[in-house]
Amino acid sequence: MVDLLEQGSNWLQAQRHLHASRTVTYQRGAETVDLQATIGKTVFEIDNGYGISEKTESRDFLIRTADLVLTGQQVLPQRGDRIRETQGATTFVYEVMAPGKEPHYRYSDPYRQTLRIHTKHIDTQGV
Amino acid sequence: MAVITDIADAVTAELNSDDFGITFTAQRLYQPLFELADMKDLHVTVVPRGVAIHSGGRSHNHHDYQIDVAVQKKFDSESPVELDPLMDLVQAVADHFRLQRLSSYPDAMWLKTENVPIYAQEHMEQLRQFTSIITFTFRVAR
Repeated sequence: MVDLLEQGSNWLQAQRHLHASRTVTYQRGAETVDLQATIGKTVFEIDNGYGISEKTESRDFLIRTADLVLTGQQVLPQRGDRIRETQGATTFVYEVMAPGKEPHYRYSDPYRQTLRIHTKHIDTQGV
Repeated sequence: MAVITDIADAVTAELNSDDFGITFTAQRLYQPLFELADMKDLHVTVVPRGVAIHSGGRSHNHHDYQIDVAVQKKFDSESPVELDPLMDLVQAVADHFRLQRLSSYPDAMWLKTENVPIYAQEHMEQLRQFTSIITFTFRVAR
């Protein structure tokens, strides 16, 4: 039986990929791959252990799970991977990470078609 | 100026005047808040932490001033090649003040050094950043 919800979700993910994404470079060590990513954000609220809640915002990159291929193998994001995003003559470098015990990525849809990768800005090049 | 800030300044001055094998400029701050993007450069920060006052004699007290020195740097790879020099720096800084009076504030005598934990595991895991905090206690009788 056809799962209409899955079909609808996949169609939406395809539209996002086609019409709401930009090219970024995903990097792990010396390995890189260019892929299409949609920019988003997540605000994390973390208890610092002293009764104070700290808010941290991450820049999120939504990419198709199937596009993350390094050295010929489909992989999942790892802490320390980097995403390079170029705007004009400037390249912003983000590192895959998340605060506290939060996961550094999660699936954006129930069918694991899209990854939401959490990052923080660590460098600006070419300014 | 408050004694603890004088002591923190004296610690900062010594860190900047002596050779620790790695080039850095220590700075005294009230809040060591940095952007992660700036942490690719080595940061050595001196922050006043606290004071405990004990009875010393009829005419004076022992003031034990605690000063934190933070050694922080974002690393590319969690390898000994990159992290060992930072651990060496932490040890060199810790050793430097041991059994000494501060050059520019000789009333302050070293009492104790604490470096627990040696480095912050959560910074290493979450930020891929080396953070080690050395807490010095200097005693002033006044």
